[in-house]
Amino acid sequence: MKVFNYFNKFSLIAFFSIGVLVTGCKDDDVPDEENELEVITDVKLIFTNDADATDVVEASAQDPDGEGVEELEILGEITLDADKTYTLTYEIFNNLESPGEDIGAEIQEEDDEHQLFYSFTANAFANPTGDGNIDSASDPINYNDNDGNGNSLGLSTSWTTSSTTISGGTFAVRLQHQPDVKTASSGATDGDTDFDLQFVLNIQ
Amino acid sequence: MKHVLFLFTLLVINAPLFAQKSDSCIYEMRGIILDADTREVLQYVAVNIEGTEHFSLTDPNGEFLIKKLCNSSNALTISCLGYCDTTCQHFNEYSEKSTIYLKKEKNYLNTITITAARIKEAGTASISQRSLDKEVLSIDPNQSLAAAISKVEGVTFTSTGNNVQMPVIHGLYGNRVLILNNGIKHGFQNWGSDHAPEIDISSANRVTVLKGAAGVRYGPEALGGAIIVEGNPLRLAQQFEAKVGTGYQTNGKGYFVNSEISQGLDKWSYHLGTKYSRIGERYTPDYLLTNSSKEERALNGGLRYHLNDLDFKIYYSYLNQNLGLLRASIANSGTAFIKAINSNEPIIINEFSYNINQPNQLVQHHLGKIEINWRYADDAKLMLRLGSQLNKREEYDVRRNADLPIIDLDIVTNEIQLDWKHPAWFELNGLVGLQMFTQNNDNNSGTQTTPFIPNYNTFRFSAFGIESFKKYKSTFELGIRLDHEYNNVRGRETSQNIFRDNYSFTNLTTSLGYILQFSDNTSFRSNLATAWRTPNMAELYSYGQNGFKTSFGLLRYYTDDNENGALRTDKVVDLEESNISPEKGYKWINEWIKQKKKNTYTITVYTHYIQNFIFNRPLGVIGTIRGPMPVFINDQADALFTGADLSWQKEWSDAINGTLGISYLWSKNLKKDEALINQPPIKINYQLDWKIKTFSKATSSQLSLKPSYLFKQFNAPRTIQTEDLIDGSVPITKDSKIFDFKDTPSGYLLFDIAWQLESEKIKTGISIQNVFNTRYRNYLNEMRYFADEPGINILLSINYFFNIKSN
Repeated sequence: MKVFNYFNKFSLIAFFSIGVLVTGCKDDDVPDEENELEVITDVKLIFTNDADATDVVEASAQDPDGEGVEELEILGEITLDADKTYTLTYEIFNNLESPGEDIGAEIQEEDDEHQLFYSFTANAFANPTGDGNIDSASDPINYNDNDGNGNSLGLSTSWTTSSTTISGGTFAVRLQHQPDVKTASSGATDGDTDFDLQFVLNIQ
Repeated sequence: MKHVLFLFTLLVINAPLFAQKSDSCIYEMRGIILDADTREVLQYVAVNIEGTEHFSLTDPNGEFLIKKLCNSSNALTISCLGYCDTTCQHFNEYSEKSTIYLKKEKNYLNTITITAARIKEAGTASISQRSLDKEVLSIDPNQSLAAAISKVEGVTFTSTGNNVQMPVIHGLYGNRVLILNNGIKHGFQNWGSDHAPEIDISSANRVTVLKGAAGVRYGPEALGGAIIVEGNPLRLAQQFEAKVGTGYQTNGKGYFVNSEISQGLDKWSYHLGTKYSRIGERYTPDYLLTNSSKEERALNGGLRYHLNDLDFKIYYSYLNQNLGLLRASIANSGTAFIKAINSNEPIIINEFSYNINQPNQLVQHHLGKIEINWRYADDAKLMLRLGSQLNKREEYDVRRNADLPIIDLDIVTNEIQLDWKHPAWFELNGLVGLQMFTQNNDNNSGTQTTPFIPNYNTFRFSAFGIESFKKYKSTFELGIRLDHEYNNVRGRETSQNIFRDNYSFTNLTTSLGYILQFSDNTSFRSNLATAWRTPNMAELYSYGQNGFKTSFGLLRYYTDDNENGALRTDKVVDLEESNISPEKGYKWINEWIKQKKKNTYTITVYTHYIQNFIFNRPLGVIGTIRGPMPVFINDQADALFTGADLSWQKEWSDAINGTLGISYLWSKNLKKDEALINQPPIKINYQLDWKIKTFSKATSSQLSLKPSYLFKQFNAPRTIQTEDLIDGSVPITKDSKIFDFKDTPSGYLLFDIAWQLESEKIKTGISIQNVFNTRYRNYLNEMRYFADEPGINILLSINYFFNIKSN
């Protein structure tokens, strides 16, 4: 029976295919661990008095579940003394991983792709004057650090408070990621936002 | 049950002649001949197979039967006094019995209409269905599968921009609509609303839409319906044919080229098709849709060998797509999202370009199939089908590491189907089948982000039986199916901790159908079917941002009783411990078709109750370190869908034919007694076809006018402004009434015109879409939050056919 020969041949193929499928079923592979660069859970602003290194003012923002549904929490207000000069530095972490990952160090590494921008209650500071550079990138901010191209980064900045007191003002900071975008004149709406935080500012 | 209703109409003018010798003279041909005007049966009509001695006269019922034909494709000469002598080609493979309408000689010369009844797949005969053949599909080979079939009443599409479109049948889409690609369930990343099936419609010979639950025949995902895409039928005894086509469209400066060759010998048949297309950024009436370009490459080929009772087919297709998504849909911060959603125009508009930047999707789909049919008796057949598919998907997003895909998945799908069409047994005709389905989904590493979808393996074993029984004018169809599905899931939390889950379901699917053929002109069909579906991986496990949405799967959030029922997303819930159940659907669909003189009325009415219906909905705006972001969750509730499709076709004159279509759907979340989101609004469309007198060498010419009106969706959730969500002035919890971020778009009238001209070798067409350059937004397009739909588009296409005589 010619027909049956053909049929046998094809049932063999079918059998073989089933074999392949069944062996294909046994895998138990887990997605590889990824070095999560997207998530920032903790940002701490550290204002250190230039004249007294023990005079430190801290405020932080925390979103413990990252992309999860828990709301961002702003912990603490920024309360500075009048007529003093402070240096602002950061601790930026992804604490979803343990140990926490220092995103600040990565920003430092990719300094030519990042810039921090600021906005604050007008004339809260004697230096820089004005209301910050989020609205207009050319407005003055005292950047202490530059990338390899000589453009400002902002992980360290200097602030001299004004002599008038302020209560319930605002201090906003925005980190922009600007790969191939960052120039001497690029601003706070260029590129993508890594964080965008607003604190209460008091000067007493 | 197989000689029911006209599904497509062929106008045959000059049928090619086949005079071939073959050893397998096994074909037979049946038909019924009617007067085209009065629908009376005609007896003593001589039917002759051209070039042969085969000859028959119709009996008093107008029926004829010619046996022992050597070719599956034959040209008929039909002669009867007072009617024209006419020739037509009969497609034996597609119909067991054709109805041929003869027109009186004095009125019409040399044209007859064959209404071939396509054989419906077993288990679907009582389900309302529509087919679109190559003629219709080839008008715009650049359009998506979903757009092509959206002209069917009750069918529309949901989209994410202009390049990603998914079919919606009676309000359901995604993996509630099964897509059968050349007999194989299309295996792709079928989740979310931004993954379109990777199918090139220019490779399809016919696309059939089943509007009822076809789960018994095709498996769990056919809960809302099925779309059957058939490739080249690989006919034997078909002369060598080659076609090249090209076209240009003004909106997006798009162009395409495609080509196709096919030939059927005595025992062998093959076809090969290719396509390339590229479309730049599309324009709305007012602005450019930046990054809406697309590029597509496709290849398909088939081979058939026919040996006595055995028939072997191999098919392979490949599709490669690069699809751009609207740049302005990705907000670079929370404040930018609010700006984008409140802006009348996209917030990013650049100069025109063909370039595709982030966000975009790079997809490759390979499909291979082997099919063996053994027709061991006249009325019995065994079919074995093996299918293997590889789908590679990379999605890029605007982000840090934009050059790395944010989603990088490979999914391998294997399927074995064994069907036995058993010989008639006590008047029962039927089909029993066994199926095995496996899917293996893997994440490729290097995305620098936690996988959105876990790795998983799915195994499904199924057995089904469908029996039909015909008595007088009634046909009953009963189907039953048992599926056992097992899933093994391995994923990562954002902490990079591993989570695992195993779960399995065993489910029974049933279907009961009834067809009443009152007369040749009137029929009624009714189908009541149950179906089920396991939640897909995105519905269960998605976590975080994908596109502009931050979305959480059913197992990724829970309410914490220790914290006053606060919503938490810090752990993955085991399916067994959750209260998540598979969807179960009960769909009852009825269709009544009446043909009266020059009118054909089709009314389809349906009710679909779905238990544990899963849907994605806005949850609110949540503060993140990047600013406030819109958050969506997957939710589950019992839902009801009910509606009607109406079509009225009228031959206004010999040359003018009009079709009115109305689609209406009403749906509701029964658990919370509120509207569902993203449900298709009422649609009314009309198509007027005017066959224009031809000139010189042209054989046919047709002008079509297609106005359509889409209503505003009134049955939609309320709108809450994002500002009110951010400042908390409208407090929202998980149990609040459903809402949307933006009002549903207003209704709109669109107007399309198409003109086609055919000659023996050339087929050309011009179509103008959105003639009046209407400004509108489509409620079912996720980009409705950000941008308008494209404006006027003029599409030119030309196809050249080479026919080389093989002897």
